[in-house]
Amino acid sequence: MSETGREESFVQPTQGIQRQLRKAVVVGGNRIPFARTGGAYTKSSNQDMLTAALDGLIARFGLQDERIGEVAAGAVLKHSRDFNLTREAVLGSPLAAETPAYDVQQACATGLETVLGLANKIKLGQIDSAIAGGVDSASDAPIAVSEGLREVLLDLNRVKTLPQRLKVLSKLRPKDLAPDAPNTGEPRTGLSMGEHQALTTAQWKITREAQDELAYNSHRNLAAAYDAGFFDDLITPYRGLTRDSNLRPDTSLEKLATLKPVFGKSLGSEATMTAGNSTPLTDGASTVLLASEEWADAHDLPKLAAVIDGEAAAVDFVHGKDGLLMAPVFAVPRLLARNGLTLDDFDFFEIHEAFAGTVLSTLAAWENDEFGRSRLGLEGALGVVDRSKLNVNGSSLAAGHPFAATGGRIVASLAKMLHARGHVDGRPARGLVSICAAGGQGVVAILESH
Amino acid sequence: MSDPGPVVMGDMPSLSKLYVNAAATAARRRLLGTDLGTALPESSHEVRGVKVDVEKLTAYQHLIGEPATDVLPAGFIHALAFPVAMSVMNRDDFPLPLLGMIHLRNSVEQRRAISFAEPLDITASAMNLRGHRSGTQLDMVAEVRSGKGDDVLWRGVSTYLAKGVFLPGIDKQSAHKAAADFRPPNPTALWQLGVDTGRAYAAVSGDFNPIHLSALSAKALGMRRSIAHGMYLAARALADVGAVKGEAFNWEVSFEAPVFLPARVALDITTVQADGGAWERSDYVAWSPKAGRKHFTGSVTVR
Repeated sequence: MSETGREESFVQPTQGIQRQLRKAVVVGGNRIPFARTGGAYTKSSNQDMLTAALDGLIARFGLQDERIGEVAAGAVLKHSRDFNLTREAVLGSPLAAETPAYDVQQACATGLETVLGLANKIKLGQIDSAIAGGVDSASDAPIAVSEGLREVLLDLNRVKTLPQRLKVLSKLRPKDLAPDAPNTGEPRTGLSMGEHQALTTAQWKITREAQDELAYNSHRNLAAAYDAGFFDDLITPYRGLTRDSNLRPDTSLEKLATLKPVFGKSLGSEATMTAGNSTPLTDGASTVLLASEEWADAHDLPKLAAVIDGEAAAVDFVHGKDGLLMAPVFAVPRLLARNGLTLDDFDFFEIHEAFAGTVLSTLAAWENDEFGRSRLGLEGALGVVDRSKLNVNGSSLAAGHPFAATGGRIVASLAKMLHARGHVDGRPARGLVSICAAGGQGVVAILESH
Repeated sequence: MSDPGPVVMGDMPSLSKLYVNAAATAARRRLLGTDLGTALPESSHEVRGVKVDVEKLTAYQHLIGEPATDVLPAGFIHALAFPVAMSVMNRDDFPLPLLGMIHLRNSVEQRRAISFAEPLDITASAMNLRGHRSGTQLDMVAEVRSGKGDDVLWRGVSTYLAKGVFLPGIDKQSAHKAAADFRPPNPTALWQLGVDTGRAYAAVSGDFNPIHLSALSAKALGMRRSIAHGMYLAARALADVGAVKGEAFNWEVSFEAPVFLPARVALDITTVQADGGAWERSDYVAWSPKAGRKHFTGSVTVR
């Protein structure tokens, strides 16, 4: 298979039970408002926030004592004690204790991957209902002991006598006492996510003005969505917060233009990425209720949208072949080809705003003839995303981005938008989700109104 | 007896000052031999518009193992109301010595969920002074209302014993019926309580009674080691019952042998379901796996 080629699709069962795939629908979602790091959720753990988001979902859809088929969620910044984070959240919730759960971790794509994995299980008939989700806290981040101290502590556990213990302890050096805090740096390159994106932003010649405009639209759209009551049945207040605390309804292009660049300052070209057009570290959690049509009907619950298909991709960013956050650029053409669709067949585009530069570099790559031919294996450019259909109710630049929680935020909001739109030109309204992730990965998905 | 109306306090009383004052009062009474009287104060004490510190709430929820939702755990409300009750027991006309009183029973009615954002009016009064085979007991009753209405949302009755104090005119209760032999069931949980258990609960509840803080401070008050707070143990049992209890429930606990720290405590929770499978109640019992001695029993019941 070439790097641009398509997977040979459709496993044909040769014998045994052949089941018709059924639909997996989004019933609805619930999240807590996202809070800037060090804000309202400073003392709240991942388990706290995931349980809070779950509680709101359970209350909204009357799921008390219900045995859900499966719950999958995850966190990117995760304490080792939270190995069963999702199951623990389920046990602390009013769901039936007989509800199984598992953790997923695919960096910022975690939330969307839980939706796709669970939707597939529903389509296969393995489960009838599911809750997908994600949570992250940059405030309550795990801090590890240094590698030197860790080794000494483990060795200490293995020896028996006092002289042996003293010998082990003598290996300890003062520098070993410094704790090891997590960061957003890529292990293989040592560059932070922002520095990686700065390289991509410069490569695609994305201007400061274009990035600021995207950030401005994100705040404006999110503020308008709140004012219109769009989030009334998507968010439950938590710890006194009723709106995403990063939202600046009164920001302006002029204000954004005054901010100093924070990433890419050592590049030869002009540094364009500021705190205004980059996503801040954020705390929060989101959940999405998925079901078969039959389960939703039996529980008298809405069916907002169907999860049609999803695709993951990864790029070789380590040696600079592609930008760290550019994997969705490759995932989307493969997903469209498999489903016989073009960018013109969509009514909503939800492209996660890790940085304004990420979204704009992605769009630029899709609009580029040469890139389409040489890298995507197409006859020319993939196409143009109609900006009036892009992140119409705001995205991560305004809402914030608690890594694993972003997928659930987007899927729940998009499902609601699709349901409201209904049909377009005789076909169901259709939405494309694109989420980039650390490690040079990306996950994308198609949803249709139900 | 006419109701004199509540004494409205401007601010939440400070527990540490109350403890210091209680110690001073005890010393003064011992020196002067003050006649304590045989009646409870008629006045109730009230603090209005109490606001919950969300950081304290989160710390409490983490320590007890309650999900960190915006709903106040029933045991947190007990801790919130405790200084008001203490202020009543600290009054000059309170007939029993506050220090050294033993918490015998606690009974809470959680009538509806209370959000941390609601300002609360908290009232406390002393009632039912009566005899006990080894002293004198009474009930401290706390009631919590939302600042917006008259309905009592939470009501707690804490029964305390002043051991060895016999007031004239108050009959001794007849001898306690012999405790049935306790045969420990298979536990559903085993708690490992470190020596810092009392300090940790003191930090989230504000109850810095010296008998809970360290072996040294406990010895000063005649205990052989520090003991766990009863309401810490009961609150953990309540948390273990879980979300099945819903938003309105009754929660009872009777304390038997104190838990000296450090300790291992075994717990058994038995769930009783109504016809049709709905949760009706959870009964719990905790004991020392080493001594086989019962520490406390209680229940959480649907309202």
